[in-house]
Amino acid sequence: MKKFDFFDLDVRKQNQSKFRKIKLLICSLLLIMSFTIIGYRTISLASINKKNISNIAYKTIENKSFQKNLRGNIYDRNNKILATTINTLSLNVNPQEILNKHQTITKLIKIFPYLKEEDLFKKLNSNKKHINLLREISPREYVRLLNAGIEGLKIETIKKRIYPNNTLASHILGATDIDGKGIAGVEKKFDSQLQVGNDVTLSIHGGIQHITRTLLLNQIKKFEAEGGAGIIMNAKDGELFSIVSLPDYNANNYNSILNENLFNKATKGIYELGSTLKLITAAIAFESNLINENDVFDVSKPLKVSSRIINDFHPLDYAINIPEVIVHSSNIGSAKIAEKFGSSTQLKYLRSLGLLNRLSLEIPELGKPQVLTDKKVLSTMTISYGHGISITPMHLASATATIVNSGVKVNPTLIKGKVEKKDEVIISKETSIKMKSIMRLVVSNKNGTAKKAEASGYLIGGKTGTAEKINPSGGYSKKKNIVAFTGAFPMNDPQFIITIMIDNPKGQKFSFGYRTAGWVVAPIVKQLVTRVAPILGVKPQLESSPKFSNNLLDFKIRGKNDGANL
Amino acid sequence: MIRYPYSLIFLVILFVGISLYQVKHFITKKEIELTQIENNIKIAQSDINILKAELSYLKRPDRIEKIAVNSLGLRQVLPTDIWNLKDLVDATVTLSNGDNK
Repeated sequence: MKKFDFFDLDVRKQNQSKFRKIKLLICSLLLIMSFTIIGYRTISLASINKKNISNIAYKTIENKSFQKNLRGNIYDRNNKILATTINTLSLNVNPQEILNKHQTITKLIKIFPYLKEEDLFKKLNSNKKHINLLREISPREYVRLLNAGIEGLKIETIKKRIYPNNTLASHILGATDIDGKGIAGVEKKFDSQLQVGNDVTLSIHGGIQHITRTLLLNQIKKFEAEGGAGIIMNAKDGELFSIVSLPDYNANNYNSILNENLFNKATKGIYELGSTLKLITAAIAFESNLINENDVFDVSKPLKVSSRIINDFHPLDYAINIPEVIVHSSNIGSAKIAEKFGSSTQLKYLRSLGLLNRLSLEIPELGKPQVLTDKKVLSTMTISYGHGISITPMHLASATATIVNSGVKVNPTLIKGKVEKKDEVIISKETSIKMKSIMRLVVSNKNGTAKKAEASGYLIGGKTGTAEKINPSGGYSKKKNIVAFTGAFPMNDPQFIITIMIDNPKGQKFSFGYRTAGWVVAPIVKQLVTRVAPILGVKPQLESSPKFSNNLLDFKIRGKNDGANL
Repeated sequence: MIRYPYSLIFLVILFVGISLYQVKHFITKKEIELTQIENNIKIAQSDINILKAELSYLKRPDRIEKIAVNSLGLRQVLPTDIWNLKDLVDATVTLSNGDNK
């Protein structure tokens, strides 16, 4: 084999052409390699890659990105903002970057007179690199700060949840924590939805919520009561127009509010709501087919069961039928009716009306009813007039709605337009008509306990309830009452449910010392319906017109001295 | 024979490289513009939120009620203020028949 000596000139001269070819080949290879590298680099640089470090401008913009999604808004049924998130400015400082601390403190105090000099001095002499001076500064303060030209200060944009209506529906809206996470009410229940910027539209009507709150608050003040709850709900689809719980709080100051004010009496608090439960007893009685409206019960003597004596607040000396038991609010009559249909039937209907379980309302603050389920005769009797059964006012509103809505179950909801096609029939239409007729008589009849709730033209019907409050140590308090009313209007075609509860009212001079539901709650119902009905589109009906027909049954109600006139 | 294709390839690569570079910068510029527009939208949305909140604050039912009662002299609507047109017609007919009830 022939061997080339590359460094031998003679040999190179002899094989010149071969050497040229080799040189050319090497150069070509180098050239191709160089172009390949250049080409690859050109393409890689030209391609758009957000992660590419060379795209500094893009990165900067992304970092400067103003914000991610703001938390969604909460609206009332008329698209009025109840809760929203806005960007506010917070003032921070890096103490290491401040050269003249005394001068900085003087300048800061000039702009923020509420800051304390000692605190500022401590903070500015700290070894930390980031200290928050003020969580929130106003735009005016921000401009003054810029004009002052103080070194080392850092302004950061932070999100703040605000509730423009302050106390309005505060128990329903709830609150968010410092990181913007829902911790109570709708804010908590719909947190995942709100976090990604989706809005929530509630069924609450801001105006009606305000009217309910104002009237309830006035009455609470008048009767020096501890608090109360008020509910207005659509009787057909369960949409809640107002839920008030008093005392309430300014939703913007959630973290500095007393626990007592945070407690939602309308949906979380459970109470013995007294005679309002007689409506359910009467409905069960009609539904059981064991008793009809003509059957009479002797209420002339107190009823002794076990160790307990059942009395009436308005005693009658003759036997009365179911409509009269309800209109006169007879505990004895109610107990005797319950005795007839028994505990199993009672508990079956209480369960189907949702009075034994928590409601499925769209807030986390829901109370679980406490009911005597021992099936003893005494328990059955006391439950019939609202003792031994503690429920929330919302439970009562829901049960009332089911009774007047032709017996079709109504589930309360806080969401506007929530469609729930589940026609669960609890009681018959016939029973519902009887109940509506009796409820109307409680308000319209001269012997009714809710006469003061009568608002002409609006055909209000319902039932009052006065119950002694349970002592925390056990037993009932003779001095403390829970008074309530639950009803609907207009009774010939119930559109809205109204449920009011007042906790521990005191007898007043103008009420002749009375602190019963008829004196305390019934007047609010009248005022409330008169004010909200025009807003709700319920027109007054001319009852004196010969053409007027209320489509209700005409039960005869006897007075205290009319015993013989059945 | 060899020189001509090499220079052609070189020119093509140069042209493609420059074009790609131009396209990349054009798109990066557009991406930045898009991000800025998106940010502006978010800022505008935030401003709208503030305005809506302010409007909601000004339209607080308690404030409106005070203005209506104290400044405009309005009063609550009573059932007697609302009439069905049909009832009014009936009442007019009754009155015109000489019945003063």
